[in-house]
Amino acid sequence: MSHSVTIEFDGSSHSVPEGITVIQAMWHLGRPMIHGVGCLGGVCGACTITMRSSSQTESQTALACQTMVEDSMALTFLPPDASKKVMTPLSADVADEKKMIHFYPETRRCVACQACTTICPQGIDVMEGVRAAINGEISAVAEKFTSCVMCGLCSMVCDARIRPHRVGIYARRLSVAAHPGSADQLFTRIDEINTGKYTEEWERVMSS
Amino acid sequence: MDKIEESKKRVQALRASRKDIKWPLLSEEEKHHLVHKYHPDYKKEAYGKIRIGPNQGEETVREVVKLLEGESCISSESISLTPQRQVDVLIIGGGGAGATAALSVKESGATVLVATKLRLGDSNTVMAEGGMQVAVSPEDSPIQHFMDSLRGGHMENDRTLLKTLVESGPSIAKWLLDIGVLFDREEDGNLSLRAGGGSSQARLLRCKDYTGLELMRVLKDAVLDEDIEILEFSPVVELLTDGEGNCSGAILKNLDNNKYTVVQAKTVILSTGGMGRLHIQGFPTSNHYGATADGLPLAYRAGAALTLQDTFQYHPTGAVYPEAMSGILVTEAIRSVGAQLVNGNGERFINEMETRDAVASAVIRECQEGRGVETPSGRRGVWLDMPLVDVLNGEGILKDRFPNMDRQYSRYKIDISKDPVLVYPTLHYQNGGIKINADGESTLKGLFVAGEASGGIHGRNRLMGNSLLDIIVYGKRAGRAASLRASETKFRELTLRHLEEYQSAQKEAGVVPQLVSPILFPDYVNKD
Repeated sequence: MSHSVTIEFDGSSHSVPEGITVIQAMWHLGRPMIHGVGCLGGVCGACTITMRSSSQTESQTALACQTMVEDSMALTFLPPDASKKVMTPLSADVADEKKMIHFYPETRRCVACQACTTICPQGIDVMEGVRAAINGEISAVAEKFTSCVMCGLCSMVCDARIRPHRVGIYARRLSVAAHPGSADQLFTRIDEINTGKYTEEWERVMSS
Repeated sequence: MDKIEESKKRVQALRASRKDIKWPLLSEEEKHHLVHKYHPDYKKEAYGKIRIGPNQGEETVREVVKLLEGESCISSESISLTPQRQVDVLIIGGGGAGATAALSVKESGATVLVATKLRLGDSNTVMAEGGMQVAVSPEDSPIQHFMDSLRGGHMENDRTLLKTLVESGPSIAKWLLDIGVLFDREEDGNLSLRAGGGSSQARLLRCKDYTGLELMRVLKDAVLDEDIEILEFSPVVELLTDGEGNCSGAILKNLDNNKYTVVQAKTVILSTGGMGRLHIQGFPTSNHYGATADGLPLAYRAGAALTLQDTFQYHPTGAVYPEAMSGILVTEAIRSVGAQLVNGNGERFINEMETRDAVASAVIRECQEGRGVETPSGRRGVWLDMPLVDVLNGEGILKDRFPNMDRQYSRYKIDISKDPVLVYPTLHYQNGGIKINADGESTLKGLFVAGEASGGIHGRNRLMGNSLLDIIVYGKRAGRAASLRASETKFRELTLRHLEEYQSAQKEAGVVPQLVSPILFPDYVNKD
């Protein structure tokens, strides 16, 4: 009952059922996947592919577990993120907004080419995030990268060798260190526990 | 397809009439009845007896029995046990619990090696959406958190483990802020809290519907900051013992070249996660690709006891359509802000904030009794009316708070703010697992367990948001206790005596292994 489509992969054409994802198509073709597969739910960034459909002249990137096969689709799995991470301590000192790109100074080299934004499978405006990082707007960067799955494609295509996804996660972590906020209810609760407010009630509960 | 559209129209037409109705909660007796009649945990024919080992005579689902009775890919004749690596603490598994344990061991000053089957962070943690329960609000208390979890777990939780869990919650939340986890906040700076099923108070900390992704991203980054050694694509295929009841190391398999590495460790932390990819009773799953319960057979044949190994969580709202999304979770948090469950006739049938086992049972009941909707590929489900969230809370709220759900469905051209979606229970979590004490140590000395692989904390049904808390609390505790123990002990002999004993027990009981375990990956590959 199900129809099949033809995909081009690994140097030849293959017929696979319609309505399945690219990862499922790999299984269908007898390939046990170890690399290039992870959560199967679109959040781990392991299964990046580049693909082109017959109606397009340009290729685009996607997550293989989130992409349905289409007839005449040509695709290739991309290597996983191998960008180097620098140690990024979170002390109050580095939480100074001006020093935000202290550990990623190359971020200033952004030439606003948009390649990172174009390639992001999560639809993040990566370049805006990078610009905000250059301007020291920690919270804005943090917000931009909320849905980042750390696939690293933005770093792969950056001519200036910027690592936007690493800058993003660093800004996110830093934004908490820079603006710890007054989570007073939490701190009060910790005090209450430490000063034994619940001890008696616990004794009652645990012995009942 | 027309039938689905017709049913969907009914759901939309009846929305206004049911939107304000508060559906009554079940009485304890009604809930007991519902769960016993429809929940997969009570389907006798799906269960079998464990014939050997520490839990001999007890039951679990046949898929897990097969794993426990499986054979190792290692035999004494085929491998030299001369250690190629020595480390104080070996951590097996690189999800949330493993990463937290690694940070904890590193902090204590012990040497640590993390071996993981896929990449660091490839785990169920990264997929967790809804949040993490911590009793923060002034109206709340650790005691209420404890009581809710105990009731949710059918009073079968290990009370000491549970007390430790809820009492550590606030300080763990503080630690997460310290390492840079961005939880949603209120205007005044306090942590924003949301309600979860079976909870008497709003106590879910969250980062939109990316809570697990946020946690895992930060933990991973923190692990890399600490320069902790990680062996990826290197699952453990057998534990090693000294033959006198102590765990002394493990054998890793490099998946790229199939070579084994023998690691001698003073203590071992098992954080291998859950079992969704076993597809128990044929259910789809919300779990990641590597969730094949590897820790269970490894620990069990080395001599560690299991607890509550017969109980599993089927999350009530897994996607059933489109087919490519089947099993993917639609977070419970969407129900906590007003999304309703309705059957094919457009009628509600359960209070959406009952515990997961009750809601799942009710969905199964509706479908079994013909009030479900059939998808083109033959799956059945009921509607989750998500557009209601905007009706109740204001235009745009749904997509703002649940960007992940929006993104997932929009890839298939479904607008969750306009259309209801079809859902059915999906295999989500292993409630039980390897028995531990409050230090995370199993009944096999020197073997610590953290996260979903362990059992006891959640009783027979885990409450939403208690798992993210569990992995951090017990990841830390196991890391600390394993380091301390390592500092007091020397390296022990490496043997496979436990395996030889297990094999003779198998023979004696007439058990013929039907597979090699751990299986490491689900078998999805087409053999034609």
